[in-house]
Amino acid sequence: MKTKYMNPYLAGVLLGLVLLSAFFFTGRGLGASGAVKSLVVTTVDVVAPEHTAESGYYSKYTGDGKSPMKSWLVFEVLGVLVGGFLSGALAGRLKLKVEHHPNITSKKRLILAGIGGVLFGYGSQLGRGCTSGSALTGMAVLSLAGFVTMMAIFGTAFALAYFFRRNWI
Amino acid sequence: MIEELIVSGRMNPEIDPYLHVWGWEIPFYLFIGGLVAGILFFSALYTIRGKQDDYPTAVKFAPMFTPLLLALGLSALLLDLSHKLYFWQLYTNIRWESPMSWGAWTLMIIYPLAIVWSALWIKDVFPKWDWKFKWLEDWIEIIRQYQKYMAWALMVLSIVLGMYTGILLSAFNARPFWNTAILGPLFLTSGLSAGAALIMLLSKKEGEKRLFARIDLMLIGTELFLIIHLFMGFLAGTNVHIEAARLFLGGEFTNSFWIFVVFGGLIFPAILELLELRKIKIPHYISAILVLFGSLALRFIVVDAGQASRWLY
Repeated sequence: MKTKYMNPYLAGVLLGLVLLSAFFFTGRGLGASGAVKSLVVTTVDVVAPEHTAESGYYSKYTGDGKSPMKSWLVFEVLGVLVGGFLSGALAGRLKLKVEHHPNITSKKRLILAGIGGVLFGYGSQLGRGCTSGSALTGMAVLSLAGFVTMMAIFGTAFALAYFFRRNWI
Repeated sequence: MIEELIVSGRMNPEIDPYLHVWGWEIPFYLFIGGLVAGILFFSALYTIRGKQDDYPTAVKFAPMFTPLLLALGLSALLLDLSHKLYFWQLYTNIRWESPMSWGAWTLMIIYPLAIVWSALWIKDVFPKWDWKFKWLEDWIEIIRQYQKYMAWALMVLSIVLGMYTGILLSAFNARPFWNTAILGPLFLTSGLSAGAALIMLLSKKEGEKRLFARIDLMLIGTELFLIIHLFMGFLAGTNVHIEAARLFLGGEFTNSFWIFVVFGGLIFPAILELLELRKIKIPHYISAILVLFGSLALRFIVVDAGQASRWLY
């Protein structure tokens, strides 16, 4: 049975409208890595509060009763989970499974995805944002950095795809 | 001391009554009380209607948890007391005007009733159960003749229990956010909804799950209605009440209340339950857990916000 997916072009336009309405209602763009960052900062702050106070990177988000979890991006990502869950339910795709090509095992897929995620998370902090926060939102406000991020992310992926294609085709 | 710098006695520390004496114990107990009330209410209701075998989880299985839950809730309540060894003094008199007296006496009756009620069903739930003593078995058979009367008593008492958890707060007039008659019905509805959610969570019968999803939907609708009226009442009230409502309309409880209680604990599970009733496959435990979580969060937020609201500005 073929699973139900939305037409990607239509989904792209809808995503653009989501971005527009985010600007309209909250005055802020979209973002994903920011929420993960808040979670990481909060965790580090619980385990090693001295370290967060001293570190130049962490200390921006903590101290003085500031809570990194009280951020628009954290709530936005909670909403993304809810929306993703609902759309999965409506499409009848609510099942715990690992999607991967038959050439590779689930385990290999999870390890590769984990490595990719770590690299992307690290890169997003060097580049001050990920695909949504920097590229999508940045381009929407015609920021040059947004276009550069977009080209860098997709350009690198395109250039390196040759070496990893066996995992997919 | 430079007297002329003191503009008002309120600048002295602790003159403004700042209340933060209730930690996790009270809201946890209020949640457990409501949940137990919900479970016992449905168990009694469907016993009276003779649906023991149609809805076995609601009538027979779920009540098994109530003695344990009550023990947990009452332990939390005891932890909160400053003079733990004097709790029995509540039982030296009856004060009609005190919700705490009402609650104490209701618990005094409902706790043993819940134990006996579970004992009546235990052989249905665990067929191999053996009471070990003949006299105990005889006793239970004697009590069984009065099962219908017990069910009626439980139904009334569970409503009193669910209602009292809210009235306990609204009788505390010194805190404007608690000073509303809607808290009683709101906590009762929320408790019934939590009970229905727990039954959904435990049930293995499709028909029973669907019935309780429908009941839960109705209760969620009632709760939303009550919450809207709660704020309408505050906003139409005196300035201190308007200030109390502002804690939720832009103040410090806005995010936690509207996102975790109203959306995450009421609207979102209601959407999931509606979809489930339309035969879209969604694991039913998700909406049940969300409702339980929302019900718990409601207690915590109402208890915290009440302590933060005040008469003096």
